[in-house]
Amino acid sequence: MPDDILFSIRDLTVEYLTRAGSVKAVDDVNLNIRRGEILGLVGESGCGKSTLGKALMRLHTGPAQITAGELWFDGRDLMTLSDQEMPEVRGAEIGMVFQDPMTSLNPLQRILEHLTETIHAHEPEVSNSDARARAEELIERLGIRRERIMDYPHQMSGGMRQRVMISLALALKAKLVIADEPTTSLDVIVEAKFLDLLKELQQEFGLTILLITHNIGVVAEISNRVAVMYAAKMVEVGDVNDVFGQPKHPYTQGLLRSVPNIKLDSGELYKMAGAPPDLTHPPSGCRFHPRCPFVMDICGDEVPPLEPIEEGHLTACWLYSSVVKRPEKMHA
Amino acid sequence: MTALKERPPEIPSDITTWEVELQKVGLLRRILNARRWYGADWWFVTVSAVLVLVFIMIALFPSWFAPFQPATLVGPSFLAPGAYPPVPVLVVPNTSLVNSLKDLASPEGQPRPSISVVQGGNTAGALNDAAQQIDNQIKNEPGGLRLRPIIDRYPTVEEALQAVVDGRNNAAVIESTEYTSITAQYPTLREGQSISGGANTAGGFLLGTNDIGQDVLSRLLWGTRVALLIGFSSSVVALVLGVPLGLLAGFIGGTPDRLMSLLMDSMYAFPGLILAIAITAVLGPSVFNVIVAIAVLYIPTYYRIVRGQTLSVKEEVYVEAARSIGARSREILQRYIFPNVIPSVAIIFSVNVADAILTGAGLSFLGLGLPPTIADWGIDLARGQRFIQNAWWLITFPGLTIMLVVLAFTLMGEGLMEIFNPKLRER
Amino acid sequence: MSPIAFIAIIIGVPSLSLLAYVFIRGSVGLRRYILTRIVLTLPMVFILGSLVFLVMRVVPGDPVRSALGPKGTPEMIQHIRQELGLNDPMIVQYGRFLVQMFTLRFGNSLIGGHRPIIDEMSERFPATLELVTPASALALAIGVFGGALAASRRKNVTDYGFRIYSVIIYSLPIFWLGLMLQLLFGVRLKLLPISGRIDAVISTTLVHRTNIYTIDALISGNWPAFFSVLQHLVLPTITLGLILSGIFVRLTRINVIETLQADYIAAARARGIRERVLVYGHALKNAMIPVITLIGLQVAILLAGAVLTETVFSWPGMGSYLVERISGRDYTAVQSVITVFALLVALISLAVDVIYSLVDPRVRY
Repeated sequence: MPDDILFSIRDLTVEYLTRAGSVKAVDDVNLNIRRGEILGLVGESGCGKSTLGKALMRLHTGPAQITAGELWFDGRDLMTLSDQEMPEVRGAEIGMVFQDPMTSLNPLQRILEHLTETIHAHEPEVSNSDARARAEELIERLGIRRERIMDYPHQMSGGMRQRVMISLALALKAKLVIADEPTTSLDVIVEAKFLDLLKELQQEFGLTILLITHNIGVVAEISNRVAVMYAAKMVEVGDVNDVFGQPKHPYTQGLLRSVPNIKLDSGELYKMAGAPPDLTHPPSGCRFHPRCPFVMDICGDEVPPLEPIEEGHLTACWLYSSVVKRPEKMHA
Repeated sequence: MTALKERPPEIPSDITTWEVELQKVGLLRRILNARRWYGADWWFVTVSAVLVLVFIMIALFPSWFAPFQPATLVGPSFLAPGAYPPVPVLVVPNTSLVNSLKDLASPEGQPRPSISVVQGGNTAGALNDAAQQIDNQIKNEPGGLRLRPIIDRYPTVEEALQAVVDGRNNAAVIESTEYTSITAQYPTLREGQSISGGANTAGGFLLGTNDIGQDVLSRLLWGTRVALLIGFSSSVVALVLGVPLGLLAGFIGGTPDRLMSLLMDSMYAFPGLILAIAITAVLGPSVFNVIVAIAVLYIPTYYRIVRGQTLSVKEEVYVEAARSIGARSREILQRYIFPNVIPSVAIIFSVNVADAILTGAGLSFLGLGLPPTIADWGIDLARGQRFIQNAWWLITFPGLTIMLVVLAFTLMGEGLMEIFNPKLRER
Repeated sequence: MSPIAFIAIIIGVPSLSLLAYVFIRGSVGLRRYILTRIVLTLPMVFILGSLVFLVMRVVPGDPVRSALGPKGTPEMIQHIRQELGLNDPMIVQYGRFLVQMFTLRFGNSLIGGHRPIIDEMSERFPATLELVTPASALALAIGVFGGALAASRRKNVTDYGFRIYSVIIYSLPIFWLGLMLQLLFGVRLKLLPISGRIDAVISTTLVHRTNIYTIDALISGNWPAFFSVLQHLVLPTITLGLILSGIFVRLTRINVIETLQADYIAAARARGIRERVLVYGHALKNAMIPVITLIGLQVAILLAGAVLTETVFSWPGMGSYLVERISGRDYTAVQSVITVFALLVALISLAVDVIYSLVDPRVRY
């Protein structure tokens, strides 16, 4: 695996096995996360991005299972790890920041205990006083006063709690931080501060961040690269300026046009036709084809592969595929 | 106004597709389809529903199932389960010419034969029936013979036999096993033929007999009647009183709500059985009083649950929306709140019946509540306890029956709860 | 020292010091919360007591007459009625009842030796205490750990096993369980005694101080008595404890399952905290909070179960006292016993609320 790639996700499929049949929340997805970058993962609700994020740490319980694929993290395939070995990776090498910091923190535990427990879970030999010192340093670095470490979660504000979450993810100097909708529950100002913080951390610690969100603006602001998901599949990946500047996949195009722009006159709000598909019975071929303004015959027959069109810019669309067999007439 | 006639709003989003489809089909198909959807829990509910139906059948028509009436003395006391009652035999002096009961027949006008028996058990009954049978036979025959013996009861076998030895009685009728064990002590007596007749000498008693000779199985089956009557009636009464109170309290709120809740919470916190004991002690023993006592116990349960549900439904947006288009309170209660409350009430009802049966049995076990003449499991258990050293079946079977009935209703409630409550299901 | 005084001290001293501690160290919010709870307990006691009063007054006929039976001459009946104040107007009677309730001076029993009821209760109450304490401990132990175990292995044999266990236990009539245990261990196997608190012969050697026989035996070093009491305790404790455990298993299981689905558990898992720590360390502790509030309600079931268990095993506690007095138509005693139960329930309810406030930091701060 090339050295600059921290995480290589190959052919990953995550299925929910229910009584009514199985649903693929993530279907045959390939993605590389490069060291030191902030990669944004965007898509509508239900497209599978959160499931993908959780899958990277094999965090699923219950009916969701990874049924295929490999997770090459820093030179080894996480899928080969046993149930006893996996907790060693979680928290220490890969960290996660959750959407709602209020419910993600144990209301019965002080902040200090959250941190020291995490440290002791991975480095049991660390003394209590050392662990406490580390914890205090950590939250101070993140902008929280030391004394607050004895607080309970309900005594802190939303923004502070989110910083605590980051500190938990960084407590053991994780290499990759997965942030699942981290700003959705924050107001705009706090959100801005939070994003600044993320950028600082990336620069100061060389942290790699996978930023999962449905908010394109957030992604545009701090990401280096972006990946777009639709209906459990990856449809476009590339440098953020390329993808947002010249989107290739019709879905990405529609997505960007839907973002309200202050320059638009009223009455010009764009809405994509149709609705995301029911994943228990997904459309044949390209999942977007029932809604695509440029649909061709082949789109309904065969699944387009994710291929590079230019250097570093990939997309899964028959419009650009070099493997297209019969360029059909286009439907407007 | 037409908006109100529509069904309550769309199915909430955290229910998966297959549940939506389930809501669209008819009731019967829904039940059959449910087996696929719900898996093990479907079995819980169905099996227990069948059991409940069986018990209801038994309660409604006990004579179809029970071999005897619960109060009749059908056999000897303390017969072990499955045992056959020993056959009574005629015991006569060695010198007597009498061999069978018929031989004791005497002509009209002559002194009647006197026969000694032991008190209790059914030998006297068997003797009576047999004598009557023979009498009816022979009175129409020429010869003018009749058989209407005088029956003398003695407290013990020894006294009954001694009476024959002394000549005070012509013969004795004793259970064969009892006789054979002491035959050596009475060398002047011999065994004659056995007496047939009596309520049931051929069949065995499946679960044995109790201390005065009643059939345990029959008492069990007849006891279902009282138990289910108490269980259902008290739950229904509690429901009829508790549910509207809860709806109103939750809906109206304010001081009446707080007062009523204070009262209900106090009652709820108090040990149910003890409250029932107090009420029955005061009102006196009767089935009706027991029903009242137990019903009072469960009103707070319905009240609390219904009130809680009402409160949460009241806050839902669709209720606000209905109000904003002019729906009146009564309609909101009827169309939105009440239907949402029904599943919980159904669950509580079945668990309540189970609990009511338990409480009722507990009351009668303590000797309170039911008059002692009614066949009831609790009373049987209390009586049986006195004979725990000898007759294990007297306490085993009534208790087992209580458990089975309560189990059936509880399982049904459990199964219903799993089906109606999505949060506890696998996500 | 009288047993009542002893018990009052045993319960009173720790509770009061706990309350004092809470008041001194706790925050304003906490103090206010506890004061509110104390104040709210009074109406509950009031209501329950009034219910008892009302219920007992509904007796058709004359309680004194039925208590005295055929021996009672009209003069005797009148005399006792006067003594008990039964001829006074209801309001006066009610007032007197309230005073009695709060001062615990219940008057004399209507039957037997006309002993002061409080004396009879001071013999019976410790017996119930001696039974109820180990039974609760047993129930909690089985219930809490069983529930957590079941919750951690969903849809697995252990889970279904515990669910079936709690359903069966729930359906089991407690008196039948007692009888069956008596049959098996007392009659068939002849291993354990089936009635009473202590062997009759040995009991003559025991010095009664607190009337809690185990403690009395320990204090005076009377080992034969100690073991005899323990022997007599086994079956009733198992009976009561087992039945209670069913409820605890179920409660714990449901609450732990819900807690395990919480976000902070998933977040902790994402930090590498192991499953076992998650279930027993985090989920269980958090789940216990709602369970604690419900434990208060279980006291009601505990008392009801005690009544039945004491009857089955002829255990001379408050429960069997109640049943005896009812059969004997001793309404004064019955009224007093029920009042004591009501007081107990209210006090324990209060205690549970206080403990809850100490445990949940959201209330504390």
